[in-house]
Amino acid sequence: MNLAAIRAIYIFEMSRTFRTIWQSLVSPVLSTSLYFVVFGTAIGSRIETVEGVSYGAFIVPGLIMLTVLQQSVANAGFGIYFPKFVGTIYELLSAPVTVLEIVIGYVGAAATKALMIGLIILATSTFFVDIRIAHPVWMLAFLVMTSFSFAMLGFILGIWAKTFEQLNLVPMLLITPLVFLGGSFYSISMLPPVWQTITMFNPVVYLISGFRWSFFGLADVPVAASLAAISVFAGLCLLAIWAIFRTGWRLRT
Amino acid sequence: MSSIVSVTGLRKTYAGGFQALKGVDLEIAEGEVLALLGPNGAGKTTLISTICGISTITEGAITVGGHDVVRDFRAARNMIGLVPQELHVEGFESVFSTVRFTRGLFGKRRDDALIEQILRDLALWDKRDERIMALSGGMKRRVMIAKALAHEPRILFLDEPTAGVDVELRQSMWEVMRGLKARGVTIILTTHYIEEAEAMADRVGVINKGELLLVEETGTLMRQMGKKTLTVELGAPLEALPPALARDGIVLGPDGASLIYSYDTAARQTGITDLLADIRGAGLQMVDLHTTQSSLEDIFVGLVKGGRR
Repeated sequence: MNLAAIRAIYIFEMSRTFRTIWQSLVSPVLSTSLYFVVFGTAIGSRIETVEGVSYGAFIVPGLIMLTVLQQSVANAGFGIYFPKFVGTIYELLSAPVTVLEIVIGYVGAAATKALMIGLIILATSTFFVDIRIAHPVWMLAFLVMTSFSFAMLGFILGIWAKTFEQLNLVPMLLITPLVFLGGSFYSISMLPPVWQTITMFNPVVYLISGFRWSFFGLADVPVAASLAAISVFAGLCLLAIWAIFRTGWRLRT
Repeated sequence: MSSIVSVTGLRKTYAGGFQALKGVDLEIAEGEVLALLGPNGAGKTTLISTICGISTITEGAITVGGHDVVRDFRAARNMIGLVPQELHVEGFESVFSTVRFTRGLFGKRRDDALIEQILRDLALWDKRDERIMALSGGMKRRVMIAKALAHEPRILFLDEPTAGVDVELRQSMWEVMRGLKARGVTIILTTHYIEEAEAMADRVGVINKGELLLVEETGTLMRQMGKKTLTVELGAPLEALPPALARDGIVLGPDGASLIYSYDTAARQTGITDLLADIRGAGLQMVDLHTTQSSLEDIFVGLVKGGRR
């Protein structure tokens, strides 16, 4: 294992994050606060509680997931797309590193940043609502697993993308709708039966449900199903990355 | 001399169907400087890219230090430093951190003293904390060389290191190359500048249309293929070449005021003595004499036009 290479990539990526630390942190904190104002206050005044939890608190896990998913995809995507764009990817391709080392470095850094932002949003939300976390260890575990698996998805997108537009397209057209329709702001049980069934095909439902369970002990789907879904997703991403490097798809000429 | 890089039957066909390399065999000795000459699109960069792992191999095999570049890529790539042709840099990074990054990427433990030495050798030490985007083109090129040297490679690939570089910087790059060669680093450089190959290279390889036309010791190549030309300036112009002087290789100069005689330096008898005697015998007055030797450039143009030797 080329640990020095993993470290080099990780530090390089994290230093990019810290160069733009204020942009990185201010915008998620601001948008979270806006969500609280709009959803928590305006809608919350009409819904009050969902399954015994105040609506303001109920949306916190969904809000965190929304940002963590967006951030992990965007960070990892940009992290590998940028060297491709400016040409410095040559260095990575000619270095004595394995796929796994590259992935750990890039995905690890992207996931770290997403995780940091997720925790900052959690901290921000305590200014608006009372939060109790029933299973803190599981809460962290879900957060870590989600960050890593979606950073892998972002990494794949970064390799796939040929333009900056393409890089932004998938998070916008795919991730955001899936999260919004995945029960970030409502319980699945609040939907009509047909939509409840359709929603079950949205993988994000399992993430948010499991994550919300770690806060309040209530879930739309069994926790085991959430864990299985995220494991399968992570496995598929890893497999795709392995195949990409094996064939050199969009990397090696 | 043992081979440090060995290329056997290398073919490369790109996804679009373009055949960039058509069966290249090449042995590169440890410690030598090999210059690859060839027109644009000849396959120089493709050859380097396949050795370094940037391009995949369609057919054939490459070993570096005895390690197969595909199966045992880690060991092979550890030995190689690469400076690509295009200026690829991370504009927002500082010079020092980008060089340190490369060293880490190659699995070497942090060694700031070594990086300092590399930056000093390349006259980059004063710029160590500057963002790369603020540097001139020549400086960026040096940063890329510094990165390639950061992990102390035994083989250095320089893809057109002095393209678009001013004379002073070119000289200093040559100095750097000489220093590396003195330390036993094997250098493979591609270039358009024949004088660079003549000045730097132990051997010259000529590539055209994906084929390695020849690999030859620079001096031998010059001697073997070098033609010399003797120009005799005459006191009075001639209307036609006197029959007594007629022989292979002689022509009358443009205005009749000179005789131009081409001869082979490798031949046992150049015919110069006879020619000069005959000129005197014909009663012609000689004002001046000078000889010129064909450069690698002439040889190169002849080869590329004429195909495989």
